[in-house]
Amino acid sequence: MPLLLLVVAALLAAAPLVLPVFVLTLLTEALILGLFAMSLDLMVGYTRLISFGHAAAYGLGAYGAGYILLHSATPLPLAILAASLFAGVVAVGVAWVCTMATGVSFSMLTLAFAQLLFAIAFKWTSVTGASDGLAGIPRRAGPFGLTVFETKVGYYELALFCLGVAYVFCRALVNAPFGAVLRGIRENEAKMLSLGYNTRLYKIAVVAISFALGGLAGALYSPFAGFANTDLVYWLFSGQVLIMVIVGGQGTLLGPILGAAFFMLVQQVLSKWTESWALFFGLIFIGFVMFAPEGIWGLLSRWRVRA
Amino acid sequence: MDLLPFLVTQCLNAFSQAALLFFLGVGLTLIFGIMRIVNFAHGTFYMLGAFVGYTTVRITGSFWLALVVAPLVAGSIGAAFELGLLRRLYRRDASAFLMVTFGLTLVLEEVIRLTWGVQALQVEVPDLFAGIVFLFDEPFPVYRLFLAGAGVVVAIAIWQFLERTRLGLLIRATSQNSEMVHALGVDVNMVRSGIFGIGCGLAALGGVLAAPLVTASLGMAANAIIDAFVIVIIGGMGSFLGSLIAAVLVAFVQVFGNYYFPDFALAAMYLLMLLVLVIRPGGLLGKEA
Repeated sequence: MPLLLLVVAALLAAAPLVLPVFVLTLLTEALILGLFAMSLDLMVGYTRLISFGHAAAYGLGAYGAGYILLHSATPLPLAILAASLFAGVVAVGVAWVCTMATGVSFSMLTLAFAQLLFAIAFKWTSVTGASDGLAGIPRRAGPFGLTVFETKVGYYELALFCLGVAYVFCRALVNAPFGAVLRGIRENEAKMLSLGYNTRLYKIAVVAISFALGGLAGALYSPFAGFANTDLVYWLFSGQVLIMVIVGGQGTLLGPILGAAFFMLVQQVLSKWTESWALFFGLIFIGFVMFAPEGIWGLLSRWRVRA
Repeated sequence: MDLLPFLVTQCLNAFSQAALLFFLGVGLTLIFGIMRIVNFAHGTFYMLGAFVGYTTVRITGSFWLALVVAPLVAGSIGAAFELGLLRRLYRRDASAFLMVTFGLTLVLEEVIRLTWGVQALQVEVPDLFAGIVFLFDEPFPVYRLFLAGAGVVVAIAIWQFLERTRLGLLIRATSQNSEMVHALGVDVNMVRSGIFGIGCGLAALGGVLAAPLVTASLGMAANAIIDAFVIVIIGGMGSFLGSLIAAVLVAFVQVFGNYYFPDFALAAMYLLMLLVLVIRPGGLLGKEA
């Protein structure tokens, strides 16, 4: 399995040699969305913390990076890192409140927080540009005179690198004792509590990590697209990323990445021959929830076992 | 403007707003209380109500007929959805419902867009309520008075329905212990389909009533679903009285927030919700923490 992954990663890294630019642009976006979906999987798949407001993480990262790049001379990679950290720090506060509730109430609280951020982004004109958003976010050169990230190919490799590092980090995290506690919370939180684990601290930690990685995805997106607007914090986007996780296969890390790629692919293909792609997308999604709750990843591994 | 007339008109405004919010929230909370389902498509049924209402008024010219047709259409679609899909998911965890109804939202929104187009459609205020009245020399639209009145009437009707009728009894019993009700020989599944239909119908009723004020447009659903969630969460999931209180609270926050600090009005509702949840995680009258 790790070997196969390495091969795929190498193929992706070499992709710019053969692929035309517009495919590369789509692929970059898919990688960024994949990172975003994977970050949510830590909460949804491993801890059963169903967040309906994960767009908040993306928005924090996107606006954070955009603001830093527009208002200072910070080099691109540093700005992205700083924005990601910013999302993680804000998440500690968010998680502290949200983890007071469990189950559906938790989901609703995350939704409330995301909408609160949406309201702020919509109204705080001097910082967020209100309904226009932040436009003209530069892909600045540096550090040390490095100009590679200014190009489409360079940015693609940067996104791929970030996704790779984040995946290795997440895999290590869920394999570590920390991950075992998360799975314990998922299966039976009361039991973990009586075993002496302060489950709330673990939940806050996983939300913070998930937000930092989601923020990283957002921070990668806004210089890539050149803008950040309120759509990135809107609840519809939170719903979409949840779809990516479920359709891809929750609790597998790689599944949600596939889910994000699938989402992009379906959107691209369907929007070519019908304006109502959302209609078919909704039907596909319902189909997955009804008949293949384990997602694409589950279907793939079932097929692999049989073969 | 003097304080008293200002307060009276703003309060009446808030009560008419509360009525609309109540129609939205009460269906959602009934569905949750009985079925443990978070119906993400609730806002879309509200929107569907507005559009069906528009068409009914166009064809028949009667707003009153629209108030009957739209809830029936939305209610039937809701009940059919429950029969066809939701019923198969009762053994799965709660998130499955959230996601299937999210899928339904995508599908319904697209169907509505294909049927009625993207333009906002104006529904005329019925002649009877088209004018304005003067309260302390301040003009006030009659339609808003009618809305506030309709809210009171429907709230009392639902309350009496739940307390006094056999179906209401079954609904309350099912929400407390569905297995026992089932063991006593009641077809619990039919109760569930019925309540899902009724909930969606109530949302559509709210949609028709809101249409003359806000026009029937594709943006309705998104705002409505968030408002509905906020009300249900503040009131406590599954609590009828809670949703009533929450609708009034939220309406007052919206109306007065819009007047005193328009820039923060959008955030004020969410702050109210966070405040309630921090103090009472299950909502004002909710049972579970």
